[in-house]
Amino acid sequence: MKILVDNVWYSYDGVTYALRNINIYLTEPGIYLITGPNGAGKTTLLKVISLLLKPTIGRILIEGVDYWNSSSVEKTRLKSTIIFVHDKPLLVRGSVEYNVSLGLKLKGLSSNDIIDYYIKRYNLSDVRNKSIYKLSAGQLKAASIIRALVLRPKLLALDEPFTFLDNTRVKLLIEDLLNLADKGSIVIVASHYIYRDLVEKCKGVIELFMGELLSLKIK
Amino acid sequence: MYLDLNEHIVNIVIRSLYVSGVASLLAFITAIVLCYYYSGRSRRSIDLIASIFEALVGVPTTIIGLLVYYLLYPNGPLGFMRLLYTPYAIIIGQFLVALPIAVVSLIRQFYNVRKRIRELILSLGLQSSRVEIILVLRELTPILASTYLLAFSRCIGELGVAMIAGGAIEGYTSVLTTTIAVQTSMGNFEEALVLGLVLISLTLLTAILIKSLSKILAGAFHYE
Ligand SMILES: Nc1ncnc2c1ncn2[C@@H]1O[C@H](COP(=O)(O)OP(=O)(O)OP(=O)(O)O)[C@@H](O)[C@H]1O
Ligand SMILES: [Mg+2]
Repeated sequence: MKILVDNVWYSYDGVTYALRNINIYLTEPGIYLITGPNGAGKTTLLKVISLLLKPTIGRILIEGVDYWNSSSVEKTRLKSTIIFVHDKPLLVRGSVEYNVSLGLKLKGLSSNDIIDYYIKRYNLSDVRNKSIYKLSAGQLKAASIIRALVLRPKLLALDEPFTFLDNTRVKLLIEDLLNLADKGSIVIVASHYIYRDLVEKCKGVIELFMGELLSLKIK
Repeated sequence: MYLDLNEHIVNIVIRSLYVSGVASLLAFITAIVLCYYYSGRSRRSIDLIASIFEALVGVPTTIIGLLVYYLLYPNGPLGFMRLLYTPYAIIIGQFLVALPIAVVSLIRQFYNVRKRIRELILSLGLQSSRVEIILVLRELTPILASTYLLAFSRCIGELGVAMIAGGAIEGYTSVLTTTIAVQTSMGNFEEALVLGLVLISLTLLTAILIKSLSKILAGAFHYE
Protein backbone atom coordinates (compact mmCIF):
# COMPACT_ATOMS: atom_id res chain seq x y z
CA MET A 1 0.00 0.00 0.00
CA LYS A 2 1.24 3.47 -0.93
CA ILE A 3 -0.10 6.60 0.73
CA LEU A 4 0.46 10.12 -0.51
CA VAL A 5 -0.54 13.02 1.68
CA ASP A 6 -0.51 15.87 -0.80
CA ASN A 7 -0.52 19.46 0.46
CA VAL A 8 -3.11 18.69 3.14
CA TRP A 9 -4.73 21.37 5.29
CA TYR A 10 -7.44 20.59 7.79
CA SER A 11 -9.74 22.88 9.73
CA TYR A 12 -12.44 21.79 12.19
CA ASP A 13 -14.15 25.15 12.42
CA GLY A 14 -13.28 26.85 9.13
CA VAL A 15 -11.26 29.47 10.99
CA THR A 16 -8.10 27.91 12.39
CA TYR A 17 -6.14 25.09 10.82
CA ALA A 18 -5.23 22.01 12.85
CA LEU A 19 -3.06 20.83 9.95
CA ARG A 20 -1.15 23.09 7.61
CA ASN A 21 0.51 22.14 4.36
CA ILE A 22 1.35 18.52 5.17
CA ASN A 23 3.22 16.50 2.55
CA ILE A 24 4.11 12.89 3.29
CA TYR A 25 4.72 9.93 1.02
CA LEU A 26 4.72 6.47 2.54
CA THR A 27 5.65 3.70 0.13
CA GLU A 28 7.28 0.95 2.18
CA PRO A 29 5.61 -1.30 4.70
CA GLY A 30 6.68 -0.68 8.28
CA ILE A 31 5.82 1.20 11.42
CA TYR A 32 5.67 4.97 11.25
CA LEU A 33 5.44 7.19 14.29
CA ILE A 34 3.65 10.49 14.48
CA THR A 35 4.95 12.50 17.41
CA GLY A 36 4.47 15.97 18.78
CA PRO A 37 3.12 17.76 21.85
CA ASN A 38 -0.56 17.87 22.85
CA GLY A 39 -2.63 19.66 20.26
CA ALA A 40 0.04 19.37 17.56
CA GLY A 41 -2.42 17.68 15.20
CA LYS A 42 -1.38 14.02 15.56
CA THR A 43 -4.92 12.69 15.90
CA THR A 44 -6.14 14.93 13.11
CA LEU A 45 -3.41 13.78 10.72
CA LEU A 46 -4.02 10.16 11.61
CA LYS A 47 -7.75 10.55 10.92
CA VAL A 48 -7.10 12.29 7.64
CA ILE A 49 -4.75 9.50 6.55
CA SER A 50 -7.28 6.86 7.70
CA LEU A 51 -9.99 8.56 5.63
CA LEU A 52 -12.13 9.46 8.65
CA LEU A 53 -11.71 13.17 7.98
CA LYS A 54 -11.76 14.80 4.58
CA PRO A 55 -8.96 17.33 4.10
CA THR A 56 -10.18 20.91 3.84
CA ILE A 57 -7.50 21.49 1.22
CA GLY A 58 -5.32 18.90 -0.51
CA ARG A 59 -5.58 15.26 -1.48
CA ILE A 60 -5.04 11.80 -0.03
CA LEU A 61 -3.92 9.27 -2.60
CA ILE A 62 -4.21 5.60 -1.71
CA GLU A 63 -2.54 3.33 -4.24
CA GLY A 64 -2.47 6.31 -6.54
CA VAL A 65 -6.24 6.89 -6.28
CA ASP A 66 -7.51 10.25 -5.04
CA TYR A 67 -9.86 8.84 -2.37
CA TRP A 68 -12.21 11.77 -1.84
CA ASN A 69 -12.73 12.20 -5.59
CA SER A 70 -13.27 8.55 -6.42
CA SER A 71 -16.46 6.61 -7.12
CA SER A 72 -18.36 5.08 -4.23
CA VAL A 73 -17.43 1.56 -5.33
CA GLU A 74 -13.77 2.56 -5.35
CA LYS A 75 -14.21 4.25 -1.95
CA THR A 76 -15.66 1.11 -0.39
CA ARG A 77 -12.81 -0.97 -1.79
CA LEU A 78 -10.05 1.36 -0.59
CA LYS A 79 -11.61 1.95 2.79
CA SER A 80 -12.13 -1.70 3.65
CA THR A 81 -8.41 -2.30 4.17
CA ILE A 82 -7.82 0.74 6.38
CA ILE A 83 -8.50 0.47 10.11
CA PHE A 84 -8.26 3.18 12.74
CA VAL A 85 -8.07 2.65 16.50
CA HIS A 86 -9.28 5.56 18.63
CA ASP A 87 -7.36 6.86 21.63
CA LYS A 88 -10.53 6.50 23.71
CA PRO A 89 -11.78 2.96 23.06
CA LEU A 90 -14.99 3.02 21.04
CA LEU A 91 -16.87 -0.09 22.10
CA VAL A 92 -20.51 -1.10 21.95
CA ARG A 93 -22.85 -2.63 24.51
CA GLY A 94 -22.03 -6.29 24.98
CA SER A 95 -19.27 -8.68 25.96
CA VAL A 96 -15.57 -8.41 25.22
CA GLU A 97 -15.90 -11.26 22.77
CA TYR A 98 -18.76 -9.54 20.95
CA ASN A 99 -16.75 -6.35 20.62
CA VAL A 100 -13.55 -8.02 19.57
CA SER A 101 -15.29 -9.96 16.81
CA LEU A 102 -17.47 -7.05 15.68
CA GLY A 103 -15.23 -5.98 12.80
CA LEU A 104 -15.02 -9.51 11.42
CA LYS A 105 -18.77 -10.04 11.82
CA LEU A 106 -19.66 -6.80 10.04
CA LYS A 107 -17.40 -7.78 7.17
CA GLY A 108 -19.15 -11.14 6.96
CA LEU A 109 -16.05 -13.01 8.09
CA SER A 110 -15.63 -15.12 11.11
CA SER A 111 -12.62 -16.84 12.46
CA ASN A 112 -12.79 -17.98 16.04
CA ASP A 113 -9.21 -19.20 16.07
CA ILE A 114 -7.67 -15.78 15.58
CA ILE A 115 -9.99 -14.26 18.18
CA ASP A 116 -9.13 -16.98 20.69
CA TYR A 117 -5.46 -16.41 19.97
CA TYR A 118 -5.53 -12.68 20.65
CA ILE A 119 -7.83 -12.92 23.66
CA LYS A 120 -5.39 -15.35 25.27
CA ARG A 121 -2.36 -13.38 24.16
CA TYR A 122 -3.60 -10.15 25.75
CA ASN A 123 -4.74 -11.99 28.84
CA LEU A 124 -8.44 -11.23 28.42
CA SER A 125 -9.69 -14.81 28.82
CA ASP A 126 -11.08 -14.09 32.28
CA VAL A 127 -13.19 -11.19 31.06
CA ARG A 128 -14.07 -12.69 27.70
CA ASN A 129 -17.79 -12.90 28.46
CA LYS A 130 -17.94 -9.91 30.74
CA SER A 131 -19.78 -6.74 29.73
CA ILE A 132 -17.40 -4.04 28.56
CA TYR A 133 -18.90 -1.74 31.19
CA LYS A 134 -17.18 -3.82 33.84
CA LEU A 135 -13.65 -3.69 32.47
CA SER A 136 -10.58 -1.75 33.52
CA ALA A 137 -9.25 1.00 31.29
CA GLY A 138 -6.39 -1.17 30.07
CA GLN A 139 -8.69 -4.08 29.30
CA LEU A 140 -10.94 -1.79 27.27
CA LYS A 141 -7.96 -0.46 25.39
CA ALA A 142 -6.67 -3.96 24.66
CA ALA A 143 -10.11 -5.06 23.43
CA SER A 144 -10.35 -2.15 21.02
CA ILE A 145 -6.86 -2.87 19.69
CA ILE A 146 -7.55 -6.58 19.23
CA ARG A 147 -10.70 -5.75 17.29
CA ALA A 148 -8.43 -4.01 14.77
CA LEU A 149 -5.59 -6.56 14.79
CA VAL A 150 -7.85 -9.51 13.91
CA LEU A 151 -8.81 -7.69 10.71
CA ARG A 152 -5.19 -7.75 9.47
CA PRO A 153 -5.52 -4.38 7.70
CA LYS A 154 -3.23 -3.11 4.96
CA LEU A 155 -3.08 0.18 6.82
CA LEU A 156 -3.48 0.21 10.57
CA ALA A 157 -3.59 3.59 12.30
CA LEU A 158 -3.43 3.66 16.08
CA ASP A 159 -4.00 6.79 18.15
CA GLU A 160 -2.11 6.70 21.47
CA PRO A 161 -2.26 2.88 21.58
CA PHE A 162 -0.03 2.52 24.64
CA THR A 163 -1.93 4.62 27.15
CA PHE A 164 -3.50 2.44 29.87
CA LEU A 165 -1.57 -0.64 28.73
CA ASP A 166 0.87 -2.29 31.16
CA ASN A 167 4.43 -3.09 30.12
CA THR A 168 3.64 -6.68 29.20
CA ARG A 169 0.86 -5.65 26.87
CA VAL A 170 2.92 -2.83 25.39
CA LYS A 171 5.63 -5.35 24.50
CA LEU A 172 3.11 -7.73 22.97
CA LEU A 173 1.56 -4.93 20.97
CA ILE A 174 4.88 -3.73 19.59
CA GLU A 175 5.61 -7.31 18.59
CA ASP A 176 2.26 -7.62 16.85
CA LEU A 177 2.68 -4.33 15.04
CA LEU A 178 6.14 -5.34 13.80
CA ASN A 179 4.67 -8.65 12.72
CA LEU A 180 1.94 -6.94 10.75
CA ALA A 181 4.49 -4.63 9.14
CA ASP A 182 6.64 -7.64 8.19
CA LYS A 183 3.64 -9.08 6.38
CA GLY A 184 3.48 -5.95 4.22
CA SER A 185 1.18 -3.57 6.08
CA ILE A 186 1.77 0.06 6.93
CA VAL A 187 1.27 0.76 10.63
CA ILE A 188 1.03 4.36 11.79
CA VAL A 189 1.20 5.12 15.50
CA ALA A 190 0.41 8.56 16.88
CA SER A 191 1.77 9.09 20.35
CA HIS A 192 3.48 11.70 22.45
CA TYR A 193 4.99 8.93 24.54
CA ILE A 194 7.84 7.33 22.63
CA TYR A 195 9.12 3.87 23.46
CA ARG A 196 12.78 3.59 22.57
CA ASP A 197 12.18 0.03 21.45
CA LEU A 198 9.70 1.25 18.90
CA VAL A 199 11.81 4.15 17.67
CA GLU A 200 14.67 1.77 16.93
CA LYS A 201 12.51 -0.61 14.98
CA CYS A 202 10.29 1.84 13.14
CA LYS A 203 10.56 2.79 9.51
CA GLY A 204 9.94 6.49 9.93
CA VAL A 205 9.15 9.32 12.32
CA ILE A 206 6.79 12.14 11.47
CA GLU A 207 7.15 15.07 13.82
CA LEU A 208 4.37 17.61 14.08
CA PHE A 209 4.30 20.96 15.80
CA MET A 210 1.34 23.31 15.85
CA GLY A 211 -0.21 21.69 12.81
CA GLU A 212 2.93 21.78 10.70
CA LEU A 213 5.35 19.09 9.66
CA LEU A 214 8.46 19.78 11.69
CA SER A 215 10.48 16.87 10.38
CA LEU A 216 10.05 13.69 8.42
CA LYS A 217 12.65 10.98 8.82
CA ILE A 218 12.30 7.80 6.83
CA LYS A 219 14.94 5.09 7.09
CA MET B 1 -66.75 -7.65 45.99
CA TYR B 2 -69.72 -6.39 44.01
CA LEU B 3 -69.16 -3.36 41.82
CA ASP B 4 -72.17 -1.45 40.57
CA LEU B 5 -70.82 -0.76 37.09
CA ASN B 6 -72.82 -1.09 33.87
CA GLU B 7 -69.88 -2.85 32.34
CA HIS B 8 -67.57 -5.49 33.74
CA ILE B 9 -64.39 -4.03 35.13
CA VAL B 10 -62.28 -6.50 33.13
CA ASN B 11 -63.69 -5.09 29.88
CA ILE B 12 -62.73 -1.59 30.93
CA VAL B 13 -59.22 -2.70 31.83
CA ILE B 14 -58.79 -4.56 28.55
CA ARG B 15 -60.06 -1.58 26.55
CA SER B 16 -57.73 0.76 28.43
CA LEU B 17 -54.75 -1.50 27.79
CA TYR B 18 -55.66 -1.91 24.12
CA VAL B 19 -56.29 1.77 23.35
CA SER B 20 -53.26 3.05 25.24
CA GLY B 21 -51.09 0.18 24.05
CA VAL B 22 -51.80 0.93 20.40
CA ALA B 23 -51.51 4.71 20.84
CA SER B 24 -48.20 4.49 22.67
CA LEU B 25 -46.82 1.95 20.20
CA LEU B 26 -47.64 4.24 17.27
CA ALA B 27 -46.10 7.22 19.07
CA PHE B 28 -43.04 5.15 19.94
CA ILE B 29 -42.43 4.01 16.35
CA THR B 30 -43.01 7.52 15.01
CA ALA B 31 -40.55 8.90 17.58
CA ILE B 32 -37.89 6.39 16.54
CA VAL B 33 -38.28 7.26 12.87
CA LEU B 34 -38.23 11.01 13.62
CA CYS B 35 -35.24 10.76 15.93
CA TYR B 36 -33.24 8.60 13.57
CA TYR B 37 -34.03 10.95 10.70
CA TYR B 38 -32.92 14.02 12.65
CA SER B 39 -29.98 12.39 14.43
CA GLY B 40 -27.75 12.99 11.44
CA ARG B 41 -28.21 16.76 11.77
CA SER B 42 -26.02 19.22 13.65
CA ARG B 43 -25.90 19.54 17.42
CA ARG B 44 -27.71 22.88 17.14
CA SER B 45 -30.68 21.45 15.21
CA ILE B 46 -30.96 18.66 17.75
CA ASP B 47 -31.11 21.19 20.59
CA LEU B 48 -33.79 23.13 18.71
CA ILE B 49 -35.92 20.04 17.98
CA ALA B 50 -35.50 18.82 21.55
CA SER B 51 -36.65 22.12 23.03
CA ILE B 52 -39.69 22.24 20.73
CA PHE B 53 -40.77 18.79 21.86
CA GLU B 54 -39.92 19.60 25.48
CA ALA B 55 -42.37 22.49 25.24
CA LEU B 56 -44.98 20.20 23.67
CA VAL B 57 -44.72 17.80 26.61
CA GLY B 58 -46.28 20.56 28.71
CA VAL B 59 -49.44 20.89 26.62
CA PRO B 60 -52.36 19.73 28.82
CA THR B 61 -54.14 16.61 27.65
CA THR B 62 -57.46 18.46 27.74
CA ILE B 63 -56.12 20.86 25.12
CA ILE B 64 -55.08 17.91 22.98
CA GLY B 65 -58.54 16.39 23.55
CA LEU B 66 -60.06 19.66 22.42
CA LEU B 67 -57.89 19.70 19.31
CA VAL B 68 -58.88 16.15 18.39
CA TYR B 69 -62.53 17.01 19.08
CA TYR B 70 -62.28 20.01 16.77
CA LEU B 71 -60.63 17.95 14.03
CA LEU B 72 -63.13 15.07 14.22
CA TYR B 73 -66.31 17.05 14.93
CA PRO B 74 -68.88 16.25 12.17
CA ASN B 75 -68.38 19.70 10.64
CA GLY B 76 -64.65 19.73 11.38
CA PRO B 77 -61.78 19.24 8.90
CA LEU B 78 -61.74 15.45 9.41
CA GLY B 79 -65.41 15.09 10.34
CA PHE B 80 -66.12 12.96 7.28
CA MET B 81 -64.13 10.14 8.89
CA ARG B 82 -66.80 9.76 11.59
CA LEU B 83 -64.26 8.97 14.26
CA LEU B 84 -65.45 11.20 17.09
CA TYR B 85 -66.50 9.26 20.18
CA THR B 86 -64.82 6.07 18.99
CA PRO B 87 -61.78 4.29 20.48
CA TYR B 88 -59.87 5.53 17.41
CA ALA B 89 -60.41 9.12 18.48
CA ILE B 90 -58.77 8.29 21.80
CA ILE B 91 -55.92 6.53 20.03
CA ILE B 92 -55.27 9.59 17.86
CA GLY B 93 -55.34 11.89 20.87
CA GLN B 94 -53.16 9.69 23.07
CA PHE B 95 -50.74 9.33 20.17
CA LEU B 96 -50.36 13.12 20.27
CA VAL B 97 -50.00 13.02 24.04
CA ALA B 98 -47.24 10.39 23.96
CA LEU B 99 -45.26 11.52 20.92
CA PRO B 100 -43.51 14.54 22.46
CA ILE B 101 -42.39 12.68 25.56
CA ALA B 102 -41.08 9.79 23.45
CA VAL B 103 -39.15 12.17 21.20
CA VAL B 104 -37.71 14.07 24.17
CA SER B 105 -36.62 10.82 25.76
CA LEU B 106 -34.86 9.63 22.61
CA ILE B 107 -33.56 12.47 20.49
CA ARG B 108 -30.32 13.36 22.27
CA GLN B 109 -29.53 9.70 22.83
CA PHE B 110 -29.97 9.01 19.13
CA TYR B 111 -27.71 11.91 18.27
CA ASN B 112 -24.91 10.91 20.64
CA VAL B 113 -25.04 7.21 19.90
CA ARG B 114 -25.28 7.68 16.15
CA LYS B 115 -22.23 9.94 16.17
CA ARG B 116 -20.24 7.30 18.05
CA ILE B 117 -21.49 4.42 15.89
CA ARG B 118 -20.75 6.28 12.67
CA GLU B 119 -17.23 6.95 13.89
CA LEU B 120 -16.87 3.30 14.85
CA ILE B 121 -18.08 2.03 11.48
CA LEU B 122 -15.73 4.34 9.61
CA SER B 123 -12.81 3.32 11.81
CA LEU B 124 -13.50 -0.32 10.93
CA GLY B 125 -13.26 0.46 7.24
CA LEU B 126 -16.99 0.19 6.56
CA GLN B 127 -19.59 2.57 5.25
CA SER B 128 -23.01 1.01 5.35
CA SER B 129 -26.18 2.76 6.46
CA ARG B 130 -27.83 -0.59 7.14
CA VAL B 131 -25.12 -1.56 9.62
CA GLU B 132 -25.37 1.92 11.11
CA ILE B 133 -29.11 1.65 11.80
CA ILE B 134 -28.79 -1.82 13.29
CA LEU B 135 -25.93 -0.88 15.58
CA VAL B 136 -27.61 2.34 16.73
CA LEU B 137 -30.85 0.52 17.61
CA ARG B 138 -28.91 -2.26 19.29
CA GLU B 139 -26.96 0.21 21.36
CA LEU B 140 -30.16 2.02 22.36
CA THR B 141 -32.23 -1.05 23.25
CA PRO B 142 -32.49 -0.32 27.01
CA ILE B 143 -33.51 3.28 26.36
CA LEU B 144 -36.00 2.21 23.71
CA ALA B 145 -37.66 -0.12 26.21
CA SER B 146 -37.94 2.51 28.90
CA THR B 147 -39.21 5.07 26.40
CA TYR B 148 -42.01 2.80 25.30
CA LEU B 149 -43.08 2.21 28.89
CA LEU B 150 -42.93 5.92 29.57
CA ALA B 151 -45.20 6.61 26.59
CA PHE B 152 -47.56 3.86 27.65
CA SER B 153 -47.95 5.03 31.23
CA ARG B 154 -48.60 8.54 30.03
CA CYS B 155 -51.36 7.31 27.72
CA ILE B 156 -53.13 5.05 30.18
CA GLY B 157 -53.13 7.71 32.88
CA GLU B 158 -54.50 10.62 30.87
CA LEU B 159 -58.11 11.79 31.13
CA GLY B 160 -58.53 14.81 28.86
CA VAL B 161 -58.42 13.06 25.51
CA ALA B 162 -60.42 10.01 26.58
CA MET B 163 -63.16 12.24 27.99
CA ILE B 164 -63.42 14.93 25.32
CA ALA B 165 -62.66 12.95 22.16
CA GLY B 166 -63.76 9.52 23.40
CA GLY B 167 -66.89 10.59 25.17
CA ALA B 168 -66.74 7.91 27.89
CA ILE B 169 -69.46 5.83 26.27
CA GLU B 170 -70.12 2.75 28.42
CA GLY B 171 -69.22 -0.47 26.72
CA TYR B 172 -67.54 1.38 23.83
CA THR B 173 -65.12 4.15 24.72
CA SER B 174 -65.02 4.25 28.49
CA VAL B 175 -61.58 3.59 29.90
CA LEU B 176 -60.26 3.49 33.46
CA THR B 177 -59.69 7.22 33.89
CA THR B 178 -63.04 8.27 32.42
CA THR B 179 -64.92 5.67 34.42
CA ILE B 180 -63.30 6.95 37.61
CA ALA B 181 -64.36 10.48 36.74
CA VAL B 182 -67.92 9.45 35.88
CA GLN B 183 -68.39 7.23 38.94
CA THR B 184 -67.04 9.93 41.24
CA SER B 185 -69.41 12.52 39.78
CA MET B 186 -72.30 10.11 40.41
CA GLY B 187 -71.24 9.68 44.01
CA ASN B 188 -70.13 6.05 43.60
CA PHE B 189 -66.97 6.41 45.59
CA GLU B 190 -66.46 2.72 46.21
CA GLU B 191 -66.43 1.94 42.47
CA ALA B 192 -64.23 4.91 41.75
CA LEU B 193 -61.83 3.85 44.47
CA VAL B 194 -61.49 0.29 43.18
CA LEU B 195 -60.93 1.52 39.64
CA GLY B 196 -58.41 3.99 40.97
CA LEU B 197 -56.52 1.19 42.68
CA VAL B 198 -56.51 -0.84 39.48
CA LEU B 199 -55.15 2.15 37.56
CA ILE B 200 -52.49 2.82 40.16
CA SER B 201 -51.47 -0.84 40.11
CA LEU B 202 -51.11 -0.77 36.34
CA THR B 203 -49.11 2.47 36.43
CA LEU B 204 -46.99 1.21 39.30
CA LEU B 205 -46.30 -2.01 37.46
CA THR B 206 -45.09 0.00 34.47
CA ALA B 207 -43.01 2.22 36.73
CA ILE B 208 -41.33 -0.81 38.29
CA LEU B 209 -40.60 -2.11 34.82
CA ILE B 210 -39.09 1.25 33.84
CA LYS B 211 -37.04 1.34 37.02
CA SER B 212 -35.55 -2.08 36.55
CA LEU B 213 -34.88 -1.37 32.91
CA SER B 214 -33.20 1.93 33.65
CA LYS B 215 -30.95 0.13 36.12
CA ILE B 216 -29.64 -2.08 33.36
CA LEU B 217 -29.56 1.05 31.24
CA ALA B 218 -27.50 3.06 33.71
CA GLY B 219 -24.93 0.28 33.79
CA ALA B 220 -25.03 -0.01 30.05
CA PHE B 221 -24.42 3.65 29.34
CA HIS B 222 -22.05 4.38 32.13
CA TYR B 223 -19.07 4.13 29.83
CA GLU B 224 -18.68 6.93 27.30
N1 LIG C 1 -13.43 17.94 17.11
C1 LIG C 1 -12.68 19.08 17.13
N2 LIG C 1 -13.27 20.28 16.92
C2 LIG C 1 -12.55 21.40 16.92
N3 LIG C 1 -11.21 21.46 17.11
C3 LIG C 1 -10.57 20.31 17.32
C4 LIG C 1 -11.27 19.06 17.34
N4 LIG C 1 -10.37 18.09 17.57
C5 LIG C 1 -9.17 18.70 17.69
N5 LIG C 1 -9.28 20.03 17.54
C6 LIG C 1 -8.17 20.99 17.59
O1 LIG C 1 -7.22 20.67 16.61
C7 LIG C 1 -5.91 20.77 17.11
C8 LIG C 1 -5.16 19.46 16.93
O2 LIG C 1 -5.80 18.47 17.71
P1 LIG C 1 -5.36 16.95 17.70
O3 LIG C 1 -6.39 16.22 18.44
O4 LIG C 1 -5.09 16.53 16.31
O5 LIG C 1 -4.00 17.03 18.53
P2 LIG C 1 -3.10 15.86 19.08
O6 LIG C 1 -1.72 16.11 18.54
O7 LIG C 1 -3.71 14.55 18.77
O8 LIG C 1 -3.10 16.13 20.63
P3 LIG C 1 -3.04 15.07 21.87
O9 LIG C 1 -1.60 14.74 22.09
O10 LIG C 1 -3.58 15.86 23.00
O11 LIG C 1 -3.86 13.89 21.50
C9 LIG C 1 -6.02 21.21 18.57
O12 LIG C 1 -5.77 22.57 18.65
C10 LIG C 1 -7.45 20.91 18.91
O13 LIG C 1 -7.94 21.87 19.81
MG1 LIG D 1 -4.49 13.03 19.95
